[in-house]
Amino acid sequence: MTAVERKPAALLLEDGTYFRGTSCGAPGEAFGEICFNTSLVGYLEVISDPSYAGQIITMTYPQIGNYGVSRADLQRDTLALRGLVVRALCYTPSNFRSDLSLPDFLSEQGIVAIEDVDTRKLTQHIRDKGAMRAIISTVDLDATSLAAKVQASPSIVAVNLAQTVSILEPYEYMPDESAYDFLLKPVPEARHHVVAYDCGAKRGILRNLHRAGCKVTVVPWDTPASAVLALKPDGVFFSNGPGDPEPVIETAQAARELFGKLPIFGICLGHQMIGLAAGAQTEKLKFGHRGGNHPVMNLRTRCVEITAQNHGFGVVFPTLGKLIPALSAGVTEHAYDLRFWVEQGVAPVVDNEHFGRIQLTHVNLNDGTVEGFAFLDYPAFCVQYHPEASPGPTDAHYLFSAFARLMDGRADYLDIDIAADRLKEWR
Amino acid sequence: MPRRDDIKRVLVIGSGPIVIGQACEFDYSGAQACKVLLEDGFEVVLVNSNPATIMTDPKMATRTYVEPITLDSVTRIIEKERPDALLPTLGGQTGLNCAVDLARAGVLATYQVEMIGCDLAAIERGEDRKLFAEAMAELGLECARSGYAYSIADAEALSHELGFPLVLRPSYTLGGAGGGIAYNIDELREIVAQGLDLSPAKEILVEESILGWKEFEMEVMRDKKGNGIIVCSIENLDPMGVHTGDSITVAPAMTLTDIEYQRMRVASLAILEKIGVETGGSNVQFAVNPTDGRMVVIEMNPRVSRSSALASKATGFPIAKFAAKLAVGYTLDEMLNDITKATPACFEPTIDYVVVKVPRFAFEKFKGTDTTLTTRMKAVGEVMAIGRTFEEAFGKAMRSLETGRAGIGVDGKDAFDEQRFNQLVSLPTEHRVFYVAEALRRGWRVEDIADTTGIDPWFIYRIQAMVQAEDALRARELEDLSAAELYEAKRTGLSDVQIAILTCTDEQAVRALRKELGVLPVFKIVDTCAAEFVSETSYYYKTYDEQDEVRPTTKPKAMILGAGPNRIGQGIEFDYCCVHASYALADMGFETIMVNCNPETVSTDYDTSDRLYFEPLTYEDVMDIVDVEQPAGVVVTLGGQTPLKLAWSLEKAGVPIMGTPPEAIDLAEDRQRFAALLDELGIDYPAASTAESLDEALVVADKLGFPLLVRPSYVLGGRGMVIAYNNQYLEKYMLEATKVSPDHPVYLDHFLEGAIEVDVDALCDGQEVYIGGLLEHIEEAGIHSGDSSCCTPPFTLSTTIIATIRDYTTRLALAVGVRGLVNIQYAVKDTTVYVIEVNPRASRTVPFTSKATGVPLAKAAAHIMAGERIASLGLPADDRTLDHYSVKEAVMPFGRFPGADIVLGPEMKSTGEVMGIGKSFPIAYAKAALSIDYSLPTSGTAFVSVCDRDKREIVSVANSLHHLGFDLVSTAGTAHALEAAGIPVRRVRKVQEQRPHIGDDIANGKIALIINTPYGQETRSDGFFLRTAAVRYGICYATTMAGANAMTRAIEVAQRDEKNKQELAPIALQDLEQWDFS
Repeated sequence: MTAVERKPAALLLEDGTYFRGTSCGAPGEAFGEICFNTSLVGYLEVISDPSYAGQIITMTYPQIGNYGVSRADLQRDTLALRGLVVRALCYTPSNFRSDLSLPDFLSEQGIVAIEDVDTRKLTQHIRDKGAMRAIISTVDLDATSLAAKVQASPSIVAVNLAQTVSILEPYEYMPDESAYDFLLKPVPEARHHVVAYDCGAKRGILRNLHRAGCKVTVVPWDTPASAVLALKPDGVFFSNGPGDPEPVIETAQAARELFGKLPIFGICLGHQMIGLAAGAQTEKLKFGHRGGNHPVMNLRTRCVEITAQNHGFGVVFPTLGKLIPALSAGVTEHAYDLRFWVEQGVAPVVDNEHFGRIQLTHVNLNDGTVEGFAFLDYPAFCVQYHPEASPGPTDAHYLFSAFARLMDGRADYLDIDIAADRLKEWR
Repeated sequence: MPRRDDIKRVLVIGSGPIVIGQACEFDYSGAQACKVLLEDGFEVVLVNSNPATIMTDPKMATRTYVEPITLDSVTRIIEKERPDALLPTLGGQTGLNCAVDLARAGVLATYQVEMIGCDLAAIERGEDRKLFAEAMAELGLECARSGYAYSIADAEALSHELGFPLVLRPSYTLGGAGGGIAYNIDELREIVAQGLDLSPAKEILVEESILGWKEFEMEVMRDKKGNGIIVCSIENLDPMGVHTGDSITVAPAMTLTDIEYQRMRVASLAILEKIGVETGGSNVQFAVNPTDGRMVVIEMNPRVSRSSALASKATGFPIAKFAAKLAVGYTLDEMLNDITKATPACFEPTIDYVVVKVPRFAFEKFKGTDTTLTTRMKAVGEVMAIGRTFEEAFGKAMRSLETGRAGIGVDGKDAFDEQRFNQLVSLPTEHRVFYVAEALRRGWRVEDIADTTGIDPWFIYRIQAMVQAEDALRARELEDLSAAELYEAKRTGLSDVQIAILTCTDEQAVRALRKELGVLPVFKIVDTCAAEFVSETSYYYKTYDEQDEVRPTTKPKAMILGAGPNRIGQGIEFDYCCVHASYALADMGFETIMVNCNPETVSTDYDTSDRLYFEPLTYEDVMDIVDVEQPAGVVVTLGGQTPLKLAWSLEKAGVPIMGTPPEAIDLAEDRQRFAALLDELGIDYPAASTAESLDEALVVADKLGFPLLVRPSYVLGGRGMVIAYNNQYLEKYMLEATKVSPDHPVYLDHFLEGAIEVDVDALCDGQEVYIGGLLEHIEEAGIHSGDSSCCTPPFTLSTTIIATIRDYTTRLALAVGVRGLVNIQYAVKDTTVYVIEVNPRASRTVPFTSKATGVPLAKAAAHIMAGERIASLGLPADDRTLDHYSVKEAVMPFGRFPGADIVLGPEMKSTGEVMGIGKSFPIAYAKAALSIDYSLPTSGTAFVSVCDRDKREIVSVANSLHHLGFDLVSTAGTAHALEAAGIPVRRVRKVQEQRPHIGDDIANGKIALIINTPYGQETRSDGFFLRTAAVRYGICYATTMAGANAMTRAIEVAQRDEKNKQELAPIALQDLEQWDFS
């Protein structure tokens, strides 16, 4: 049935919390930061998302692997995560697109995984105690020895993980989209040329740029601005990526240099890069946002987008600059819980020392953190969440349309009927 | 955009009686809506003809009308109450149809009532298949290829174009009524003919078959700003071809990849926008081709539905409550998640468990009907179960069904039809999953089963995992099992009973070993967010995992065992009693704990009780909760037979039972002990005896004389009960009855032909008895009390008889030792009062009696169970005179079961009930009749044909009909009797005779009223045809003389009302005297 040997395995957290389970992937030992993802579907896109570099993912949904692995849905051909924790893994999947079972795939990819863990208990623990280091082992089940190993493992804070999942050489994104013929419309002719910084870019993002009418040239994370400009693109895009944004200095530096020279769009780590370029500070969230159901208020439309998220760090919005009361309903003092602005019904604007006026456009309704901002004096905007979804809801697909409009030079680029945009790509 | 202040008074229309396809889920949604609107300061005017609902409790609305849900009746209510708005989306198809009628008739415009939540155009686009298909085409979404037929010829033409098989769906019918699948031209003709009759629009959608495709459902909510969320996705285990209501379903969807799921999600949101659902909840159904992923839209309901209730219970997201708030102006982002109380409601719930729903059927009640599952819904109820895996949840669901099963087999109840085994693996029936599991046990390959059933292999692999878990234990010695092995079995969903069967021990031994080895369950919380946020709500399910989340408090706890799935004989009435008890016990300072597995109910709303355990009502599952919660008392007498059956075993396990002790229950149910008690008290009862074999039965019959009421012991809803008029029938019955209940003998009672039956609901605290109400049945004894219509106060009984009944009731309740509610059935023959039976528990009629008298009996019972005295409850005198009459009438599901006879008898067949309130018995009866049939004939032709026994009595009824202006037609025998009495009558030929005969008159719409009384056990006769035709053509009919009498008087009322518009004036419950305890 499967090559995976169902041997005992153990999971131990930095604070000593120990779980016994069963191995359901490759044998061995894996260290990483333990986190959880609450998506009901899309485990394959989750585990192949390079933003999970350095992490051990716990899926809160208990039965994982039900529809197997369709390689076309992989966000990257090789996996960047460290390990996977589930309640029950499916060895007998069913879907017409499935190429192989998830346990077989994990084993092929050398990913250590553990099942039969009370993932709800684990999730509550992470929620209450915060993200922390952890180890999965199929070779050592002893809590004391595992504790010593996990204490000796490196933290992901202040580590540049983006460079570990980026690429070495630029290339033009030319995908085979035939796997999606059954549900997506044909790809339109390219109207724009976009250079995409790859800090661990998900294929879903590149696909969405491509489908928004862009020829996409993907470049390494540390490509100098001058090299980008030499390609004479219509716009530049900053991708998602793993871990702490602060050590990813070269990308933020390039973003700063490209401001005003090209239309800019950033997602996730790309959003943080743009924030850092504008001089903002970033922070580590307690247990991060990882899932497919995060409500985000679009302050410009006053509508809620259900979004896919995956980040453990965030931009501290007030550090972008002082509020401009005239453009912020007269408010002079920053609120650190940005849901204040949701209640006010206002999209506040700050005065940024580098790039002028910046408007807060998106706020997370669960915890009041920043989800997006737009530059009023520069052609640039960014969001913390994932409009490409993959996996997750596609409510924010309009942001790709918006980027195309920005490159068309439209000032009203963000004013899009989200409902009408919703069906755009689907057959 | 907060609350609308321009609306003050909102009209809510309920869904009326429980019928197949529309059950108590609409009480749940309607009650939620009423509650939230009142809390928000709106005045609520409610119309619902179903008295057994929580929503019709006088406190749930400002003005409550238990009145017919008809254009005429609701118009009067609007005229009287002048609501500003009408909320049409919470009362199921009935409420929606009534709203459409009101809008089309211009009533809403005349009285300036705004339809909120959804407007007429949107309802039409959602419900009219042609408009819907057009809308989908504009969105670029695919529907199955189809066309419309208005005649059989149209359908035939379409069949050439689309090919067989074809799916046929009549427009505007409930739960797919009248629809079906045609594999050939003959079936096409038959189904189309039936469907055209049933469709109010006389229109049928003829559709390309997508049989065998995977079926999904999305529960969607939307607000007027355009925020849209998916509350829950549901995947059907049964592929296309089986109605969703009859399918085993699973939440969330299991076999869709992310991109497939997101396409469905986006399509669902776009469909709501396109159809124009401004606010509220809707569901959208899809079919997906398993081989290439092609997705087609099947349909959408622009209203809260059965699956919304399921989705609410499955996720903890209260759809109906929010739908009501959205309709009055709020938006999703303005509301808080009810469960976490910290995050917004505008999000998509994520869950960390698997939910399985399994439908409950009642085919045993309808002999002769086809039990194959089709696109026409036949289930009478459903259960839901929650587990950490599909296997666990499925195992739980299968033992929740109250079918005597403890899982999907190896529970000691396996019985397979070997001759048809292969066919029964592939044929969709209620038993198919048992055959699938058995096929796996017999070594069938998963692929082959998937191939023959169309069930996705994923589900079959999961069932295989369950079968493998059985294999691991089979023929092992129980004491040899390790903790790890037992733990694995429990995690795979095996019950203690199954483990006992596999290891040849008993349930108690398995339980003892589990405890000894520490293989104990834990309870986890349903929190909408997979533990991402802290939850404030105590909504639990059981699983086998590490961490337990129950934090028992030190408050005294009262645990209420619910009624399980709705089925015939046990429906919403018992849920009503459980909910009332929960409210009352909470008022008394108890922490209330509800245990139930029926997702349609108010009892399983997470804010009805302090704690909700969504669990099967079996010994194992209840005891696991008892072990954790250690309740001060467990209430077993309000949930019908389900918890009552557990009473003894719970008491034996040392669980404190609240109220009537099991010993008293046994005294009332043990025929010999009970007869001895009656003899001691000097109370009459029909001569009775028992028999364990056919020979014994024949001897008894000889002794007692025919007719005999024959039944097995310990019955539910009169199951297996018949009246035998001769030896031949008795023999036939005895041969079948031995299957009904092998361990128990058969009872034979002398049947009191022509007696009047009386039901009494009473309270007893051990010292005093309070008569809640005397319900005089309209049909004579012999019709099951659940199917019989009845009236309170009695309308023909003498004061002497009433005094005797009160005296008997008092003495019996005290002698049996009732602490709480008791129901006693009497038969009055001439001037003698006989006791038929005593049920020391809440009866089906408690909600009706409570509404008729204004005294909440179930709450009072809860107070008594908690130790209070009747004297301290402040109840009104129980012999006071009421100035109004209340009639309860049963609603029959015959339209759903073609082939089964529609004669009433001692076996209960009704699914629900309605109530009519009026100043006189005929008025109340007329309202009840209108609530069921929507109209009473006031002119036209009445067809009268009665059995010889009734030939004398029919004369006066016929005479009344003649004077009321009806033309009479009869077959020879009855015509002769009428002619002799000088009543003008036209003769028609019987169905078995030459044409044209009466059947043709009925088919041609020439008959307005049918009176046809059967005799004995005639079945496939003329009478059978006539009664079936009456149902099929929706003609008013009576099958008993008492019913005919009452109907005639009701027609008289309706005629008077046509002139003065006063007779049937609506009455609000708030205008009648009401009592309450807090």
